[in-house]
Amino acid sequence: MRPPSACSARGCAHQRPSAAPLTPPRPSRSALAQRRAAPSLPALIATHRAGAAPALPANRGRRAFLGPCGAEPGAAVMAAAMRRLLRAGGRRGAALVVAAGGARSQTLRLIYTTTAAWKKNVAASGPEKYTEAFIKKQIEEFNLGKRHLANMMGEDPETFTQEDIDRAIAYLFPSGLFDKRARPMMKHPTEIFPEQRKIQWGEDGRPFHFLFYTGKQSYYSLMHDTYEKLLNVQKHQDQMAAQDLPPQKEKKNLVGSRWLTKTELEEMLLEKLSDDDYSRFIQLLQKLVTSPCGNIEENYIKKFSREISAQLQKVVIEPLKHDDRGVAFSTGEGERKTSRATVIVYDNGTGKITVNGIDVLHYFPVLQDREQLLFPFQFLDRVGKHDMVCTVSGGGRSSQAGAIRLASAKALRSFVTEKEVEFMRQAGLLTVDPRVKERKKPGQEGARRKFTWKKR
Amino acid sequence: MLRSLKGLVCHPLKLDHGYALHTAAKDCLSSVLSQDVQIPAERPRAVFYTNETDPVKTFNEACLMVRKPALELFTYLKNSNFAHPAVRYVIYGERGTGKTMTLCHVVHYCARQGWLVLHIPDAHLWVKNCKELMQSSYKKERLDQPLQASSWLKNFKTSNEHFLKEIKTQQKYVWGKRESTEQGRPLGEVVEQGLARVRSASDAVGVVLKEIKQQCHLGSFRVLVAVDGVNALWGRTTLKKEDKSPVSPEELTLVYNLRKMMMNNWNGGAIVTTLSQTGSLFKPSSAYLPHELLGKEGFDALDPFVPVLVPNYSQREFESCYHYYLHRKWLQHEQARTEAGKEELRFLSGSNPQQLERLAGPL
Repeated sequence: MRPPSACSARGCAHQRPSAAPLTPPRPSRSALAQRRAAPSLPALIATHRAGAAPALPANRGRRAFLGPCGAEPGAAVMAAAMRRLLRAGGRRGAALVVAAGGARSQTLRLIYTTTAAWKKNVAASGPEKYTEAFIKKQIEEFNLGKRHLANMMGEDPETFTQEDIDRAIAYLFPSGLFDKRARPMMKHPTEIFPEQRKIQWGEDGRPFHFLFYTGKQSYYSLMHDTYEKLLNVQKHQDQMAAQDLPPQKEKKNLVGSRWLTKTELEEMLLEKLSDDDYSRFIQLLQKLVTSPCGNIEENYIKKFSREISAQLQKVVIEPLKHDDRGVAFSTGEGERKTSRATVIVYDNGTGKITVNGIDVLHYFPVLQDREQLLFPFQFLDRVGKHDMVCTVSGGGRSSQAGAIRLASAKALRSFVTEKEVEFMRQAGLLTVDPRVKERKKPGQEGARRKFTWKKR
Repeated sequence: MLRSLKGLVCHPLKLDHGYALHTAAKDCLSSVLSQDVQIPAERPRAVFYTNETDPVKTFNEACLMVRKPALELFTYLKNSNFAHPAVRYVIYGERGTGKTMTLCHVVHYCARQGWLVLHIPDAHLWVKNCKELMQSSYKKERLDQPLQASSWLKNFKTSNEHFLKEIKTQQKYVWGKRESTEQGRPLGEVVEQGLARVRSASDAVGVVLKEIKQQCHLGSFRVLVAVDGVNALWGRTTLKKEDKSPVSPEELTLVYNLRKMMMNNWNGGAIVTTLSQTGSLFKPSSAYLPHELLGKEGFDALDPFVPVLVPNYSQREFESCYHYYLHRKWLQHEQARTEAGKEELRFLSGSNPQQLERLAGPL
């Protein structure tokens, strides 16, 4: 692009000759291929969507070639090129501007394309999109890029982990996008490029796998293997019965684990399954596990089970602490909307409460707020028995009162039996109130309120 | 502040804050004598104030709690030497702790002992919301407030009747072309004059104050000057002159004369005052200490004074108030009768008398 000219004396800015091309001239095909083949660091940093899409040099000519603008194809050739493009579809279907410089050529501008052009032609895309060589090259470049990045950040390239990479990328390319997956990322190519099935048949066209013609070769082979294991187990069982040995009683604990989900299984097998297929497989696995002597095949079964990590954590109630005077006290923290409160509850008190150094009557002149503070104590029948010192910040008067209430309820847990803690929990004294201010949406006046509707 | 105090009656004083005369209070006049406040009881009795909707009318009595600050003041007054210049006492405390009540108690006590009581229920009323401001005939630059002055004179008359007959004027006062008061006439005539001729009411007030001040050192009677909301005398006003310029307190006749009364250049009596933030103008709501509310000018004028702090209820006082309400069946809610209810009231009111009264109202 011609650089914008300096402001003239008349004050008009950026005079551009009208005949300048609106898009930069398209590079030649070879140049394109070269660039794609040797991506620099920025090219590796792809967004999630683009990761699936870099168009490949090893295309079967699907992408129409648009020559450089100076090439002057005739109108017919241009039209032919457009037709090819439209037929092939491909993901490049967005509005194309084909501009040609020069006075002699015709400017063909495509304003829109049909949706047919956008639809993924899955059948035509075929099983293999990324060649092995390509993936290998990507991996090499990733490693090289990793070392470059480590150098840039001043860290040791040898011990540069994926977390460090993520941090570095977030620092170098800060993004305000909401969706984490839309932000720039740099990951190992195996994580970005989805696994592809290699070509299933050889040079002569004969398939490698014996179940190829079932259509779902990996699924059926899996079922086959699993059934084989089952038969194995049954044979073992018979042998044990024949030898009059008691069957093994140890059962694998299925409580903390779950089977693979359908999606995970599909990813593992690299082929689509139906719900029916999936349920049959799981039933088979169940049968294997529940049968006696199923422990023999534990290793095999482990491949298809996952740990459930998020167990309910038992909330630990801290014991009482004692300060210098020997008075027992305990602390608690609470929050509500944007307020945060920390509270120290002392034993043997008279019901005196201090908030941020100010007496509670002065800090909360409204009765409603004081009632909120009263609630935990009243619930436990300990109204005049404790003193409280609170610090609170943020939010308004109501949310501060709510935050202090939560904090004091949490602090009182240490003074009280477990049963009463359970009562408090059921009363809702120990739950963080999740309500926050709802976001205002565009096109509306507030979160829910719409603009005044006018008939005309 | 006395705004919520209507018709608190102590014989023979009728306290009125200038809005409307609470006629029901007259009936209580005699009853109060029988409902005597026992001084100084070990166990304080309950207190309440009197709003339109409430205790005095309902109970047909007015009761005061005897608390420590009042007892303190009584000892001071008893032991004061009336040959010395009048001592000034300033009752201060946070909002709603009972300063006005303490003042009323003192007034009642002195009235029973036969003192001449000059009670100004609320000095703030003199510096704000005045409908009529007139230029004073006596001094050109001062402003008169006929309405406030006349209402105060009415009260003064009813409360100190027998004194008015005894005190004689020592000077001739000319009110207008045709009216004048000769020397040696009883003070009652001055008061009548003020009431009849509202235009000269403020001057009448001034005359009354001057006469009392001049004659009290003779010793025939004691004078108690009781002012509620004394910080109004040295603060700012919300009144404006006709040319929209603000009026400062000294320009008001009433305030000017009262200030003269507050000085300690006379003897034979005492001055008991209260600070009040509730009616005060241009003062933050957290202010309650003397120097905050009086300002530099007021502090210097009142200095030296004896400060008396009125705190929130103590445990015993709270219990007593609670039992009074219970006894008089003011608390109707079933849970209010329980121990837990009492604790709840204590917590929520923070042992502040005003808050407790507000809470107990709807119960």
